[in-house]
Amino acid sequence: MITVEGLTKKYGSTVAVDDLSFTVEPGVVTGFLGPNGSGKSTTMRCMIGLDRMQAGRALFDGKSYSSLRAPLHEVGTLLDAGNAHSGRTARNHLRWMAASNGLPVKRVDEVLEIVGLQQVAKKRVGQFSLGMKQRLGIASVLLGDPRVVILDEPANGLDPEGIRWIREMLKHLALQGRAVLVSSHLLSEMALIADSLVVIGKGRLIEQCTVDQFISRHAKKWVVVRSPQLGNLVDLARAKGLQVATNENTAEFHGVESAVVGELAAGNGIVLHELSTQTGSLEDAFLEATALSVEYHGLSESAT
Amino acid sequence: MIATIRSEWIKLRTVRSNVTTAIVAVLIPLAISLLSVTFMGENNIDSGTLPGFIVGSGSVAVLLIGVLGVLCVTQEYSQGTIRLTLAATPSRPRVYLAKAVVVALLGAALTGLVVLIGNVVGSAIIDARDVPALDSNPDAAPAFLAMILMGAVVAVLGMAIGALTRNPPSAITTLVLWPLLVEGIVGGLLSLAFDDDVARWMPFQSGLNSMFLELPEDGFGRWGSLGYFAAWVLFVSLIAERSLKRRDA
Repeated sequence: MITVEGLTKKYGSTVAVDDLSFTVEPGVVTGFLGPNGSGKSTTMRCMIGLDRMQAGRALFDGKSYSSLRAPLHEVGTLLDAGNAHSGRTARNHLRWMAASNGLPVKRVDEVLEIVGLQQVAKKRVGQFSLGMKQRLGIASVLLGDPRVVILDEPANGLDPEGIRWIREMLKHLALQGRAVLVSSHLLSEMALIADSLVVIGKGRLIEQCTVDQFISRHAKKWVVVRSPQLGNLVDLARAKGLQVATNENTAEFHGVESAVVGELAAGNGIVLHELSTQTGSLEDAFLEATALSVEYHGLSESAT
Repeated sequence: MIATIRSEWIKLRTVRSNVTTAIVAVLIPLAISLLSVTFMGENNIDSGTLPGFIVGSGSVAVLLIGVLGVLCVTQEYSQGTIRLTLAATPSRPRVYLAKAVVVALLGAALTGLVVLIGNVVGSAIIDARDVPALDSNPDAAPAFLAMILMGAVVAVLGMAIGALTRNPPSAITTLVLWPLLVEGIVGGLLSLAFDDDVARWMPFQSGLNSMFLELPEDGFGRWGSLGYFAAWVLFVSLIAERSLKRRDA
């Protein structure tokens, strides 16, 4: 279990993370979601003491990271799979990490087998593909069999097979009762992996909730209608003060239940060919929730 | 602490460029002194010749060992492993100390190898030549010991400079320019201003002097010179350790 309380990180006068508090429960995958530059990586670095936080604390089963004598036994972290000397072999890379926490070489061979790298254990990391480096990173996370796992954008840059592997691995780790925190800037990815969400924007907590709650709160719903007498229905609805957008042969009713539209049509003898409720995509929900907090507004903003 | 030292030792020996640097730090000084005793005129060889060449090549050895000290820190930053190191061992003083112990022992071992191989092979070369039997030189043993200790001290200095700059080129440049250029210029300027010979106050020069067979007359003596240099290295190390502790990784 991870408890983050009031974590604040400033770089000069820029506030990267602002009074951030959340918890990560064991047994589930918690998605740490936010746009690029929203402070996810900074938060993770502060949590394990790599960066100094100005205020707040992060506790792992009640203990701060710096108080852990052999932290790999408690917390497994993968911030960037590229953090490995390209000239070292995979096995030697894991060996020095294992030795630092008093773990035997036998454990190195075990985790290499778990992630399926035993064949290339004696190859240099520099020859590894991104997917293989990611597997090596997961192997280093598993070294000490930790109860808490923290991963920063583990799916970034992976091919579909690699993404699926990571996804299965994370679910597996959570099923074993570990607390798993995994960051991403893609909600669609999170929706497939995570059970629970911590959503941040501009370094502030936007929401901590389940994935379903997040979507139902933020995703837009609207009613789509197809009718040969569409014009009449739209006029009637507008007269009642409803918000309607019309396309060529459909109309979208916003902020209203489908029953209201159906009854309006029936009451006026209008024939309907379609009456359905549409829900916005996950990405829409995410953009909606973080719209006010996006750090860098790209040119593509108007196109989305 | 033992676990951290073991981890640092594995890290150091599993990168090829470190191993190459270590080998070069032994071979180049050996080549210098052994070639010298091979081709030196027979009439000029006396009991101080071989030890003199060995400790003379010691300055090259310790500079290369200093480079190794630089590499063992800066490669952690250039390759990103410093984050894994500090995540695995959150106590930064412990990481710094473990690294310093490893590079110091390795530095001493490498200068020790130069002394050992230089003496064994060098004596064999002299024996094979037409030179009358030589007495043992009373200054050789203390000079060799000073050279071995210098290997440790300069390794720790290189590591400190590496930890301060976090960048291999600037760290190596600093390490090499300090004795060759900075102390030369500063020492030169100061000796213009003062009558006293200020060369002995130049830390690196003082350390290098401690390895000489015949010590400069106005220095601090062998162990005084070495101790003075070591005190400077300790001072720089404390600043570097503080920097590691305070700065974000």
